Amino acid sequence: MNQTLCTCGVALVMGVALIGMPGCSKKSVQSGGDSQGTQGMAKGGSSDSSRSGVGSFPDTGVQSGSGELRGLDKNPSEERVGSGTMLAKVDPSSSAGRQMDEFRAEAGLRDVFFAYDSWTISEEERQALNRNAEWMKSNSSALVKVEGHCDERGTSAYNLVLGEKRAKAARNYLVELGVGANRLSVVSYGKERPSCNEHAESCYQQNRRGHLVVKTGR
Amino acid sequence: MTQVKLISAWLGGVLLLAGVVGILESGAADVFLEATRPDFQKISLGVAGIHNAGGPDWLGGRIEEVLKRDVKRSLVFDLVDLPSLGIQTPDIGNGMGAGSKAVFKQAAEKGVSVLVWGKAGLKETDKEADVNMEGFVYDSGSDELVGGKRYAGSPSVVRLMAHRFADELVFRYTGEPGIARTKIAYVAEQGTARELFVMDYDGYDARQLTADGFLNLMPQWSPDRRFLIFTAYRNRNTQDIDMIELATGKRWTVISLGGLNITPALSPDGNFLAFASSHEGNSELYRLDTRTKAIQRLTVNPSGDLSPSWSPNGRELVFVSDRGGGPQLFLMGSEGSNVRRLTFEGDYNAAPVWSPRGNWIAYVCRTHKEYKLCVISPDGQKRRQLTTGPGVDDSPSWSPDGRHLVFSSTADGKSHIYMIDADGKDIERLTFQGTHNSAPSWSPAS
Repeated sequence: MNQTLCTCGVALVMGVALIGMPGCSKKSVQSGGDSQGTQGMAKGGSSDSSRSGVGSFPDTGVQSGSGELRGLDKNPSEERVGSGTMLAKVDPSSSAGRQMDEFRAEAGLRDVFFAYDSWTISEEERQALNRNAEWMKSNSSALVKVEGHCDERGTSAYNLVLGEKRAKAARNYLVELGVGANRLSVVSYGKERPSCNEHAESCYQQNRRGHLVVKTGR
Repeated sequence: MTQVKLISAWLGGVLLLAGVVGILESGAADVFLEATRPDFQKISLGVAGIHNAGGPDWLGGRIEEVLKRDVKRSLVFDLVDLPSLGIQTPDIGNGMGAGSKAVFKQAAEKGVSVLVWGKAGLKETDKEADVNMEGFVYDSGSDELVGGKRYAGSPSVVRLMAHRFADELVFRYTGEPGIARTKIAYVAEQGTARELFVMDYDGYDARQLTADGFLNLMPQWSPDRRFLIFTAYRNRNTQDIDMIELATGKRWTVISLGGLNITPALSPDGNFLAFASSHEGNSELYRLDTRTKAIQRLTVNPSGDLSPSWSPNGRELVFVSDRGGGPQLFLMGSEGSNVRRLTFEGDYNAAPVWSPRGNWIAYVCRTHKEYKLCVISPDGQKRRQLTTGPGVDDSPSWSPDGRHLVFSSTADGKSHIYMIDADGKDIERLTFQGTHNSAPSWSPAS
């Protein structure tokens, strides 16, 4: 594409009028953006993954050039303007696809809090985890999920990684205390599910946490 | 290392009015390219009204307002205010009549290079309403009526008519498709859930795409604009990477390896998906061949690696790693070779995005405890901070023409989405509704 444009640029410098511009771009300029619309999932359905954990991939690499632009015209013919990019309608109130929460908070389990930018468990916070370990030993069938959370500072992406580090630090400490690793799972919510929404350290502190929840019987 | 100047020259009569469009790179990722060069001369353009031709009073004014904003945001044109130059803008029709000639002459004398005007009307029948818009372009350099456009459509596409006309103007004078018809995907909070939305590039016409009631995060466009790829949570427990087809709403999981699977980025040719996954322990970068489904691990170290972004030629990746302590930007070949650190200033640099022209990488930099936008050249030689002040800025994403960035910020309290020129000027807020809007991703040009 670059080569095409470069040639075009040189031609322009040499004085070719811009009326010919559409011809300088890729061929797909003329065909419009709709030509790809029917290709859809050309690469097959959603279950033919050749490796577990990898789903199907459509062909996404075709760029549509300048799409519906046709250039200015001294005697323009009428162009119908549609609604632009086709977007499926979503009914926000529909319950289909709604996720059910299989975990619940448990009064016997305490949150563990972290310092800014840190996933180290302080001496003070070990007390909370010690109690959690005791609770898990006396509720020996309970399955616990450790959610890692972050405050609103920093990027969404890095906070997901940070949240996972926090959740894993809490899990590892519980395992050190003798809780079976198979009873503990981790998930990171980064800064996406804050428990407090103010822009203040008192609030940030509450959000930098490992939150322990118990799997329900369902 | 070669660089080729693409100079778009508008030739009219004997006058050569040069508008330097930009420079396109020809391969190497470390070529310096300015999206808006210091010597870039904007083309002065005046809008002489979109006049009502049978329809409600607001119609012409609405189209004119949208068109003017598009022209201004294009950064190709310098929008001039005709009345302040003493140029009155009555309905000058669609031809080279005597009345319009006087206006053309005035415009030429005042240095207005391009004059745009038009008319719009609404026809209503029992069954339907139809808006008709005509737009015309006069170039004072060539003293010529260059041409025009005629659009028809339902009243719901009035803004799109203006957007398409604006893009025709940009296309005419630069050969680029313009950005007025592009879209921005983003995440909006609904209760405690975060769902995907898509809106026009100017913040209008937001549409919801997901409604699963939990977290859908950090959408990225496919190169062909037909899909979004994003992080989602299956059963609230595992982070997977999902795709959704915009036209049908069909959604499916593409990466579910266990652990954290985040920050997907499709290569410019769509043949590879780079992403971060912690399924082997800590967060590492992987590359999936989308045709063979083969997965290649790109990074090997005990720290967190994430947020890959492709160079426009697909040969390199910029990414975040905290292997040195705090998060910093690193570069490597797209197959994992030649890893080198890019950022050394500050102790927190993250969320990199490579510009469409290859010359800049935008990212979030922490300065004075605030998270702001910075840009750095891929060779690390040039660095600039684009935003200042309080608030957490996050998730920069380039416009396809490389002249703007969109990003989220808590500068006004709640997280909202903003647009900024690539040189740090002219911040424009795009979202005003809701409790939290974040993770904007600018679509490719159509």
